[in-house]
Amino acid sequence: MSGRAAGQAVNGRAPDGRAPDGLTVSGLTVTGPDGAPVVRDLDLSAARGEVLALTGPSGAGKTTVLRAVLGALPPGLTRAAGRVEWDRAPLSATRHWRRRHVGYLGQDPSSALHPLLTARAAVLEPLRALGLPRAERPARAERMLAEVGLEPAEFAGRLPHQLSGGQAQRVALARALAADPDLLILDEPTSALDPAALATAVALIRRRRAEGRSVTLVVSHDGSVVTGLADRITRLGAPPAPSAPAAPVGAVRPADRITRLGAPPAPSAPAAPVGAVRPAAAGPADAVLAADGLSLDRPDGAPLLGGVRMTVAPGEFVAVLGPSGCGKSTLLRALAGLCPVRAGRATLLGEPLPWPVRDRSVRALRALALVGQDPLAALNPARPVAAALRRPLRLLRGLDRAAASAEAERLLAAVGLPADTAHRRPAALSGGQRQRVALARALAAGPALLLADEITAALDAEAAERVLDLLDGLRRDTGLAVLAVTHDEAVAARADRVLRIDHCTINDRRKTTDVR
Amino acid sequence: MRAFRTRAAALAAGCVLVIALGGEALAGRDPIRTVAVPWAAAGPGLPLGADALGRDVLARVLAGGRELTLLALAAAAAACALGVAGGLWAGWSRSRAVRTVTALSDLLLVLPLLLVAMLAVVVLPGPSAVVAGTVLGGAPLTLRVVADATAQARHAGYVEVALARGERGLSVLCREVLPAHAGLIGADLGQRTVLAVQLTAALNVLGFGPPPPAPDWAAMLRENLPGIGLNPAALLAPAVALALLAGTVAGLSHVLAARP
Amino acid sequence: MAADRARLGGVLRLIVRAGAPPACASVVIFLLAEALPGDSAVVLGGGRATDEQLARLRAAAGLDRPLAERYADWLAGMLSGEPGHSLLTGRPVAELIGGRIPVTLTLAGAALALAVPLMALLAWSAVRGPRPLRPVITGLVVGGAALPQVALAALLVALLSAGWRLVPPVSLLPVGVPAWSRPDLLVLPVLTLALPAAAYGAALLRGAVADAVSRPFVRDADLRGMSATAVALRYVLPAVAPAAARLLAVVGGGLVAGTAVVETLFGLAGLGELLVSAIGGRDLPVVQAVAMLATVVVGAGLTAADAVAWAVDPRGGAAR
Repeated sequence: MSGRAAGQAVNGRAPDGRAPDGLTVSGLTVTGPDGAPVVRDLDLSAARGEVLALTGPSGAGKTTVLRAVLGALPPGLTRAAGRVEWDRAPLSATRHWRRRHVGYLGQDPSSALHPLLTARAAVLEPLRALGLPRAERPARAERMLAEVGLEPAEFAGRLPHQLSGGQAQRVALARALAADPDLLILDEPTSALDPAALATAVALIRRRRAEGRSVTLVVSHDGSVVTGLADRITRLGAPPAPSAPAAPVGAVRPADRITRLGAPPAPSAPAAPVGAVRPAAAGPADAVLAADGLSLDRPDGAPLLGGVRMTVAPGEFVAVLGPSGCGKSTLLRALAGLCPVRAGRATLLGEPLPWPVRDRSVRALRALALVGQDPLAALNPARPVAAALRRPLRLLRGLDRAAASAEAERLLAAVGLPADTAHRRPAALSGGQRQRVALARALAAGPALLLADEITAALDAEAAERVLDLLDGLRRDTGLAVLAVTHDEAVAARADRVLRIDHCTINDRRKTTDVR
Repeated sequence: MRAFRTRAAALAAGCVLVIALGGEALAGRDPIRTVAVPWAAAGPGLPLGADALGRDVLARVLAGGRELTLLALAAAAAACALGVAGGLWAGWSRSRAVRTVTALSDLLLVLPLLLVAMLAVVVLPGPSAVVAGTVLGGAPLTLRVVADATAQARHAGYVEVALARGERGLSVLCREVLPAHAGLIGADLGQRTVLAVQLTAALNVLGFGPPPPAPDWAAMLRENLPGIGLNPAALLAPAVALALLAGTVAGLSHVLAARP
Repeated sequence: MAADRARLGGVLRLIVRAGAPPACASVVIFLLAEALPGDSAVVLGGGRATDEQLARLRAAAGLDRPLAERYADWLAGMLSGEPGHSLLTGRPVAELIGGRIPVTLTLAGAALALAVPLMALLAWSAVRGPRPLRPVITGLVVGGAALPQVALAALLVALLSAGWRLVPPVSLLPVGVPAWSRPDLLVLPVLTLALPAAAYGAALLRGAVADAVSRPFVRDADLRGMSATAVALRYVLPAVAPAAARLLAVVGGGLVAGTAVVETLFGLAGLGELLVSAIGGRDLPVVQAVAMLATVVVGAGLTAADAVAWAVDPRGGAAR
């Protein structure tokens, strides 16, 4: 128990300077395909009976550390330096060692279950490696299922597709714990498990700690759960700085995205309650968009949103917040005429807005512009930027080719891109640059309202900031109104008003009496 | 690296195609005249020796790929065009009629291409049978690939934006979906061409190709098999030519398909 | 109850899927005769018969009856194993076919026995083999699948027969000698059939295997330390099996059709060679019977594949 006495401040050696029994990692450095370190000179240790938490922002290399400890780094990553020891002996974590000593619960446990194995068979798997007599295994598997709260009589014979998501997570938890492993690894349990399953997991981990025999390694970006649970916490440092915007896109984007998600939480949006947050500047008559009683369905016919009521005034930035899957994107797509509306009506610039896009007048088509969330798919990979910009100019504004080219250059300048961007294809642009091109294309027709669907979701923090600055500038200069759906509070913080999707509806109370 | 591989593969396939199509004109040799004793070994003036009737093997190899290649290209183009048109339609409009057509075309996939072509030979001349076999056996595959890609592209941002600015379906298909999948379609065309080359070679070996004495790589294989002990080059040269034609086109197709 | 109904539905679907290709093919194959410029009466008449004689021949052969009726008769003949007589030799078609089945069966069976393990090995090592070898194997598979069968036949003859003198270049099996009694004659034909089939199958199977290995539950099993063999057999195999079984049926169908080329080229008197010579002589009853037989074999293969897929994963459509 010397390790626990060392407490959270000490990260490494036991007081007597000897590596304790259990897991010790010293000087671990893992490099990526380009030789750049992903994890640099990391020390950790956990004695038997201890719970070690590994925290840090996403992208800091937590999962990489796990894989390095397990001796199963994904292709492209190499362990450049460092030692991993188990019970003071160098550890080469072969499959065989992992099978005998490790219980592992991944980030998405329900998809980690073999779809053709029943819950009982899944839990039996680690027991086989344990060398338990064959006759005792089923009883032990069922006991394990009961411990995670699944009644064996009811659940043991079910296949994963007959289990709910939470039940599948419990099966995976039972499998990880079944062999009472010497080293239990939980990768992001807070996002992997639903609250009830997490509570079960925490209780079981506490019991393991009390038995004082085995090491538990918990990885989480969420410090609140692990602080109550862990004996030691090791924080991984900040991730490397985001790459320069001009870098080729493919390989760099995912890391950028992780960086952004790992950034400290943004200040929350001004005053959560629905309705007027700032005094309204515009009356109903000059509203850009007014919608009343909009009802939307999922593609399978199930109701998604009902009774949506909202208005957007010229130059206004309205953000719609809501959890994922609540129909935010569908709302914007419906306004853009891309998916059917079950009931309700809307007016655009004072004129009724017909639903299927083909019934809309050129004026309506010009007034609304949609920008999507995925900058990778936003631009046609086969067409240079100039071609993407010229098309709406010629189609909606009737410009000839030369005029359209000149206007395209002006648009690129307006979104802050150099003129030579015009000849590039999307593959040669960074995510932020692509999103700017998508904005330029949206602005080409001279819209009155921009429908922005999570436009910063795939961008790193810096690029997202610049895109939002750009929107602010455009609103100031051109009187453009923006209706943005987002789950990102940083976007909502910039909005004039925030509408929240609540119980499958949006009720913009400010104009209740005005929308007719 | 990727661009380099694409260029190298295109260059190789291009060279082979040029030689296959224009070899006779390049060489200026007569493929039909008897110039030596049957199966004479290689010697001065006859770099690859002579065939069963004492004709110049090099001349016949250079001349024997033209019709076969043209036929394969035409058949592949027909199959691919039909498949692309059907695939765009099927992927775009997901109606009941489309599902029926797709199911029917899946049914065709089940039948071996060669069997279909051989049955077509009963009622059609050889070249038409190759086209029929390639179209019946190849177009459904293309249709499936293109339909999947189109159905995915339907939800891509650039397609939605095009629809939201009021473009009609056909215009979106031609201006956005088709260019975005040019690599995919190129790869598919390559695969159909390889298939058509294999089919043409098989039918010509079976004797449903151009009548003798016209030079033809596949027919040469059959003519020169008995002389393998005397002049192996007479058998090897057309075999290598066929392998190169199919191999380089398949390589190009493979590289194109791997592109993002 | 619901499970029973689902099972019944599954069986029904298997039956429909097994029956549909041969049924559709039978119509097309029957109509081949209609598409020809002359009918069998013209062939029987030998080109010298008068219109009156032709009409009598037609009536005798039942050719003046409605199309649907003749199709029903023809199909009944096919199903009862009496597909009529050869137009060229007058011998019963069933007898002709029966005499040729052993050769083709031996050939196709041996080729399949070689192609299937080879295909699995190539597909597996292209995805999970030693890392430096993967591109080489992928290249081999792509090149091998592209190689025309006839070119491969020529290359094999040059190598094995002319080069190393291991086997005779042409098989020319004496009449009445069973094919399996002279394995040296079968080496070239079997290799010519099996190698392209294996490469083609591997090219398609490679994608299915790559998909399966990247599934989360397979990666998770790797991390948990399951042995590589257990991962392959218990995790990857069931995930690949349905696709692999269908693919095998298609490859098998191609292989059956390929016997025509191989038998003709190497001089084996099998069904394929019979089909080719019947097509050359426009001997329609023979062509139709052989084609129907091939279609039924292909359909049976697909049904077996569906049954395997269904047995491995009874969830059916929900799984994929």
